[in-house]
Amino acid sequence: MSTQATDITRAPSPKRARRLPGSLAWHLGSLAVLAVILYPVVWVVGGSFKRSEDVVGSLDLFPADPTVSNYTSLADGIADISVSTFFLNSLFLAVGSVAGILISCSLTAYAFARIRFAGRNLLFTLMIGTLLLPYHVLLIPQYVLFRNLDMINTYTPLLLGKYLATEAFFVFLMVQFMRNLPRELDEAARLDGCGHLRIYWSIVLPLCRPALITSAIFTFINAWNDFMGPLIYLNEPSKYTVSLGLKMFVDQEGLADYGGMIAMSLVALLPVLAFFLAFQRHLIDGMATSGLKG
Amino acid sequence: MTHAPATQARAKDAEPRHGPDTPLRPSDPKTRGRRENLAGYLFLSPWIAGFLLLTAGPMAASLYFAFTDYNLFDAPRWIGLDDFSEMFGDPRWRHSVRVTLWYVVVGTPVKLLVALGVALLLAQKRRGQAFYRAAFYAPSLIGASVSVAIVWKAIFSDDAIVDRTQKAFGVDVGGWTGDPDLVIYSLVALTVWQFGAPMVIFLAGLKQVPRELYEAADVDGAGRFRQFWNITLPMISPVLFFNVLLETIHSFQIFSSAYIVGGGAGGNACGPADGSMVYTCYLYVQGFENSRMGLASAMAWMLLVAVALVTAVLFRSQKRWVHYEEGGR
Amino acid sequence: MQQRKGVERRTVLKAAGASLAVTGLGATATACGGGSGSGDGTVTIRYAWWGAEDRARRINKTIDLFEKKYPKIKVKTDFQPYSDFWKKFNTQASGGNPPDVFQNAIGFLRKYDAKNVLLDLEEQVKAGNLRMEGFRAGLDTFGEIDGKLLGVPVGSNSMALVIDKPVYARAGITPEMGWTWDDFDEAMARVRDRTGRAGDSGMYGVMYLYDLYLRQNGKAFFTEDALGFTESDLTRWWTKAEKGVTSGLFADPKKVAQIKPKSALSAELAGSEFTWDNFTVRYTSEGRSEYGLAPIPTTDGKRTGQYLGSLMLSASRRTEHPAEVARFIDFMVHDPEVARIMGYDRGVPATTAQYAAYRPTDPVNKAIAAYEESLVAADVLEPVTPHPNGADICEAAFLRIGEELGLGKRSVADAVEQFFDESKTALGS
Repeated sequence: MSTQATDITRAPSPKRARRLPGSLAWHLGSLAVLAVILYPVVWVVGGSFKRSEDVVGSLDLFPADPTVSNYTSLADGIADISVSTFFLNSLFLAVGSVAGILISCSLTAYAFARIRFAGRNLLFTLMIGTLLLPYHVLLIPQYVLFRNLDMINTYTPLLLGKYLATEAFFVFLMVQFMRNLPRELDEAARLDGCGHLRIYWSIVLPLCRPALITSAIFTFINAWNDFMGPLIYLNEPSKYTVSLGLKMFVDQEGLADYGGMIAMSLVALLPVLAFFLAFQRHLIDGMATSGLKG
Repeated sequence: MTHAPATQARAKDAEPRHGPDTPLRPSDPKTRGRRENLAGYLFLSPWIAGFLLLTAGPMAASLYFAFTDYNLFDAPRWIGLDDFSEMFGDPRWRHSVRVTLWYVVVGTPVKLLVALGVALLLAQKRRGQAFYRAAFYAPSLIGASVSVAIVWKAIFSDDAIVDRTQKAFGVDVGGWTGDPDLVIYSLVALTVWQFGAPMVIFLAGLKQVPRELYEAADVDGAGRFRQFWNITLPMISPVLFFNVLLETIHSFQIFSSAYIVGGGAGGNACGPADGSMVYTCYLYVQGFENSRMGLASAMAWMLLVAVALVTAVLFRSQKRWVHYEEGGR
Repeated sequence: MQQRKGVERRTVLKAAGASLAVTGLGATATACGGGSGSGDGTVTIRYAWWGAEDRARRINKTIDLFEKKYPKIKVKTDFQPYSDFWKKFNTQASGGNPPDVFQNAIGFLRKYDAKNVLLDLEEQVKAGNLRMEGFRAGLDTFGEIDGKLLGVPVGSNSMALVIDKPVYARAGITPEMGWTWDDFDEAMARVRDRTGRAGDSGMYGVMYLYDLYLRQNGKAFFTEDALGFTESDLTRWWTKAEKGVTSGLFADPKKVAQIKPKSALSAELAGSEFTWDNFTVRYTSEGRSEYGLAPIPTTDGKRTGQYLGSLMLSASRRTEHPAEVARFIDFMVHDPEVARIMGYDRGVPATTAQYAAYRPTDPVNKAIAAYEESLVAADVLEPVTPHPNGADICEAAFLRIGEELGLGKRSVADAVEQFFDESKTALGS
């Protein structure tokens, strides 16, 4: 690590002679890390074209005689439930979560960032406090609550929190962003006769686009990957999300459709990877700023 | 969006107030204060509802359950500290604490070291930097998914790449996922694989280190290691602190990857001989498998206390090693 | 965003039924069933069971058949793997919203009877909605607890030793009715020595097998309210098991743990495995070899301690449609066509009508039928062991602690102590 440090601390090096070997080492190092990072991803791509019995045992990344039977078996679904059902359910939850987070968290953030009201500091501290709260403390009482409301096996428990701004991380992200918007904007708008709602909707929200996009993508990905929530709240296989659909493959006794499971694992990753490719800049910048402002 | 110039707006300040629809003005602090309060709480109402209904209320309920025997069927029965004494006396609970601590203590530092190392590498401005940064970050997005857990389980089982590689080095311990002592390391490997998120934060921190500091050090003849130790590390200590805090808290809460990688069908969701039974796994077993909601709530509160303690210790330690530049944030 | 805060009276909800429970959010994304009582007199009942994909497809077919015959009754299903099923069931039942009819097993009858979850179906028998005649070999009383009819058997099964036939042939072993545990131990060693494969997949964690062993010795795993054996009994059983693991008679538990949920037998880690006879179907689809059923070893050369077990259908005491549920159960256990669809998936059909309706033609299912017939012929069947409230937790603990013993994480003494600790908590004794 210390040798790497030497390079960063003074790059770019003024001496031309040292440049070439340094650059070679840099690329070799980066490629080595890349190989480790990519191995599991390449493995799952190759594995999805292998026959079930070869998936684990064979070391070849890509099979000599690729088969698409894993994908065609996916088309049959699992237990009379089409695989697309899982995807539609996940999509519904993910999109529903995104809508909820965008609305509720931006409203909350606006209040904290742009309105001076009594008790703001106290409430803001409470909000930040929930940022570090382990979800598991709420797991059981929330479960009991939703059970008493007869909402088990519905999507309500999985979505309600998103509409009530319980995801403090996104509130925090947006507060940070809104605080940096020039104050003069709303002063001016206010004198033009705009109330907070107008200012929020027509001035602050549009300017917050980068923070909103970052929040939306993270929310989508989190909802898509969520496992514990659906595991606890959903009972009926036709309501399962992709994560639970995959679990059905894992639990499957007897049939051992290992290839189908690998194929579905890959397909389940595609939306996340697609989002990542399209918006990686937003995601990485969002990550980076959250760290700097923390 | 029109950017109304501030000067133009200020001219109106002198105008008298003429009705309820009048724009709010700093010259009328009382009314404005009241209206601001109203607006603030209106905007906050979803959050307040959520906080009361889904956070504060449940926390209070959970605290109450922790002192009861509650099987969901019968009303909670107050049993005082019995849940806690049962918990502390339960060898499986102590085992799950050990497994989790081990996971946190090994996984977090290794992950952060890798993240820092790769960030230092990528901090050099070279071609392909953006590509590598993006590629290294990707695992952080998919690492928590069931898909990756499934892949992980396969990669670390008998005769797969890890087993064959270690055999090539003469280590024949078999696949890790079936071994009660090794399965936890496959989870450590999974978290280290997701070093991208802290790496991105380190990178952002490194970018803000002023170049002049290094130039001055060069003049003084300081070696590269000295420069790293005396300049880079102190300058990025705020992001280091942030990463340590976040990753530690996250590690305490690992669930789904442990559930999938270690588990499997057939009763025991916590890995071979409870080898991957992290704290939340046991909490899930007690709460949802054995219907011991009271006991599970007590466990949850212990987790909260542990996380709060770690957070407090980290914050207290800040003074010793985290350097905040005045105005430099 | 619709939320139903403040609905206080569950009765209102109950009447509104299942579709109301998934208002708004739920309804848009999934095709959920109709209300449990709609205007035209159609009622919907919820049916839950555990199992996997193959069973799901079969059950869906039987439900289509049922709905055709009873157009006024709609059936909505959900299912889970066994381990998840009871978690979900438990929380639904505790919330006053259990499925109307569900698959059940002997270990759960007392547990849920104690919690007032199970409907006494006796009334429905009297009302003529459910026929309890025509059951095989005393199965009609299998689901009776304290004079209440809490479950109706759908198919019988019995513990067996499933063997990899070619492996046993290569080892030169033909297990016969009445073979002893000494013979069994010798057979294990021979499989290991001659085929290089472990003899058994690890029988030390199988509660139902240990139960048979105890029964051969005049004891049983459970009494009405406690464990039916002592620490020293279990110490002996597990000491033998530990030796079996270290000497390679039983499969390497690390490998067995890894391949779950696949079985060690079909993964060719072991030459045989103790399990329920109707599971043979599973090995055939999972593994490449040919599998057969061998008798349970005995202590005295005669008694195997076996009994016919059975999966059951039970009804919820909370159901609003007890008559429809009873007709559903009646259909599922008596209708010949159902038997032809289900095969031996849930065991050999419990009623003679269904037994006669499905005569297997494939070797695997034929072997299952032959095995159960051989038990009847050998006259080894005895009454079932009682299963107290908490039996399910004991079973899971036995399996888990047995695995820990096999993996070398516990000494025998430690394992025995831990099991007795956990069981006493579970049984409340």
